[in-house]
Amino acid sequence: MTTDNSKTGVGQGLDQAAKAALLRETMPFKTVPDATLRRIADLAKEETLPAGTRLYNEGDRADDLFVIASGKIEHALGPEAEASKLVKMVKRGDVIGWAALLSTKQRRLATTVAEADTQILRINAQKLRDLFQNDQQTGDMVMSRFATMIKEDYTLPDWLAKTRSIGEGTVARSEAEVPVSESRLALLGYRLGLWVKSPKPYLMITGFTAVLLFWHFSVDVFEWPRFRNMPGLVEVITEWLSRDPIYGLSVWTPEYYTHIIVSIRRVFIAFLLATALGVTLGLFMGWSKGVREFVFPVFETLRPVPILAWVPLAIIIFFHPESTVIFLTFLASFYATALNTMLGVDSIDESYSRAASCLGANKWQVFRHVIVPGALPFIFTGLQISVGVAWFSLVAAEMVSGEFGLGFVINTSYTMVKYPTIVIGMITLGAVGYTTSAMVRMLGDHLMQWRVRELAMGGR
Amino acid sequence: MSAVMNRNTQPSKYGATRGAIQIKNVDKIYDPEGAAVKAVDNCTLDIPAGEICMVVGPSGCGKTTLLNAIAGFHSITSGEITLDGELLCGPGKPQAEPGSDRVVVFQNGALFPWKTNLENVAFGPIVQGKMSKKEAYEKARSLMADAGLGRSERNYPGEISSGVRRRVEIVRALMNDPAVLLLDEPYRALDSLTKSVMHESLLETYYKNKVTIFFITHDLEEAIFLGHRVVIMTSRPCRPKKILEVDIPHPRDYNALTSTRFRELMDETMDAVHEEAVKAFEAGEKEG
Ligand SMILES: Nc1ncnc2c1ncn2[C@@H]1O[C@H](COP(=O)(O)OP(=O)(O)OP(=O)(O)O)[C@@H](O)[C@H]1O
Ligand SMILES: [Mg+2]
Repeated sequence: MTTDNSKTGVGQGLDQAAKAALLRETMPFKTVPDATLRRIADLAKEETLPAGTRLYNEGDRADDLFVIASGKIEHALGPEAEASKLVKMVKRGDVIGWAALLSTKQRRLATTVAEADTQILRINAQKLRDLFQNDQQTGDMVMSRFATMIKEDYTLPDWLAKTRSIGEGTVARSEAEVPVSESRLALLGYRLGLWVKSPKPYLMITGFTAVLLFWHFSVDVFEWPRFRNMPGLVEVITEWLSRDPIYGLSVWTPEYYTHIIVSIRRVFIAFLLATALGVTLGLFMGWSKGVREFVFPVFETLRPVPILAWVPLAIIIFFHPESTVIFLTFLASFYATALNTMLGVDSIDESYSRAASCLGANKWQVFRHVIVPGALPFIFTGLQISVGVAWFSLVAAEMVSGEFGLGFVINTSYTMVKYPTIVIGMITLGAVGYTTSAMVRMLGDHLMQWRVRELAMGGR
Repeated sequence: MSAVMNRNTQPSKYGATRGAIQIKNVDKIYDPEGAAVKAVDNCTLDIPAGEICMVVGPSGCGKTTLLNAIAGFHSITSGEITLDGELLCGPGKPQAEPGSDRVVVFQNGALFPWKTNLENVAFGPIVQGKMSKKEAYEKARSLMADAGLGRSERNYPGEISSGVRRRVEIVRALMNDPAVLLLDEPYRALDSLTKSVMHESLLETYYKNKVTIFFITHDLEEAIFLGHRVVIMTSRPCRPKKILEVDIPHPRDYNALTSTRFRELMDETMDAVHEEAVKAFEAGEKEG
């Protein structure tokens, strides 16, 4: 029933008038004067694509553009085009293959496949441009209508949606050879631009401002009794930025950075250890019932014991203060990572392992190709928690032991009544902690492109 | 009867030389010690090589259990199952080894979301060490292109529609050159329009590679449209209640759906299935 009408619309041969009429239906050529339109129609060669034919692939050289006369074609932009809508069905009156006209690209941005038997007009882009050289006014109008159409339909980054301008052919040609690095930069700029245009940064700023204002007003303006001894916003900032800080610590003093670096180093080591051991243990606990039965009860018994309770034993065992701090920092991260990893393995639908085994994977291959990647989303959730927890525990550990680090700063400043320094330590800790967990998240997104894209499809 | 004699002999009536499944007196009892649930009871079924065998039956009657036993996902309690005369599971070997000669397409789909469609399709031969990565990708590419899936190669399964996902999954199965395709309600979640496209594409694939298809469904129209035979199962524990020969010649297209013969077969199936569904319902009432 679907194959018997494969001949419809084929072979009659469109004459010049019919081609011109079709062009008139398209967005870019709608307003072209009749005489010019007829000459464009003469450039247009009619072709028929049986269903399933690929017209062109992403990355191919782009020489021609196409107008659809009948049938339909699926037009799928590659992800690098950064369009808001990647896949589109085009039909009579639509124009595809406009990459041939873009000022920065001469490669196909999309892959197009005929969904049904489809009749098209092929127009050579170079010939079209040559034609417009003699009628620059119409040419520029058509090109700008192209740009509008592209932007309306696909929301491409501006630098991609720009068509050549006819008047300055030479300029356009040199523009077409923008080096890759430059277009990357443009892409980055484009994304940054989008971010700035979105409500996100403003909400973020509003959030911070609200907290800071509350702080400022409660301490310095209203002088609420409860906040009597609390250092004010202005005082802290002045101290923080002072070249000659009253309490000895500011962005201008080298110790400030020593503390930060020492803390980062400790967290880094502890986090790496926790990740290596936690992910391994978690994977095996999830994968093997035997391992789980051995380990999990012990694990669950130790997990609720708070870090501070471990301090005496840790000091006895490790003696060396640095190792003690690292051990204490490690512990909670390790629990978070191991537990999340195990839950991640549990979360994997059994049919994936079954599918892998009936495709011939052995036990180890199932582990490698199903268990590990399947648990990855949970692992990274765990790692984000774990890095936060590491900072958390670090402060506790540094309060007990060691002579540097942000936790140490906070603790000693308290005993020595340097209140603004406490707040400086806290804010720095927060900022560094935020950065590290953002880095973990970025790494996760980088490793799990499939997930990023899947979520993007869900409109997130 | 020997295993050797059955292999590489004459093509079956469907023109295939491998993929004959024999299920003999199979029982499956879940949890034999405790509250024993008998899911399959003395089930015997002979599927010739290259047949499209459609299995219908009330919900929870044990169809998936039977399919899983053939696939090797769990054991059987007694009886035996052979593939081309070779024992898959039976006395002394309660559970079959899962293998790429019997590939399953799952009800909810099981393309690995973390691999691109192409990587999914190429997965089988690569893990089996049958092909180099390069060869596997080449073959995967050409199979996908043949199936009209070329443009989804580089997408992840999460980015394509569920209909396309099913097609990719079937290509992934065919990539291994299986003797049998085991499909467990693969199109259940699809809308009827997509479903009809799927049916045509499945038949097209089948006409190209004559594999045996063991296809579980709840959709009687689907069962009759696709199948050479429709096996109607009893309510739990399941065993074939009635086997219907669908005497509408292949290749079929959608005109078959409107033929009188199709309607007659539908009525016949409907009666048998309805009877079992009522039994299952009443059994459920008693239990509840
Ligand atoms: N692992 C298990 N342990 C115990 N009972 C099970 C198990 N798996 C299935 N069952 C029971 O066996 C019976 C048959 O289940 P099965 O999944 O094979 O049915 P089905 O015919 O595929 O049903 P549906 O049409 O709903 O998919 C059901 O009553 C189910 O509750
Ligand atoms: Mg089932």
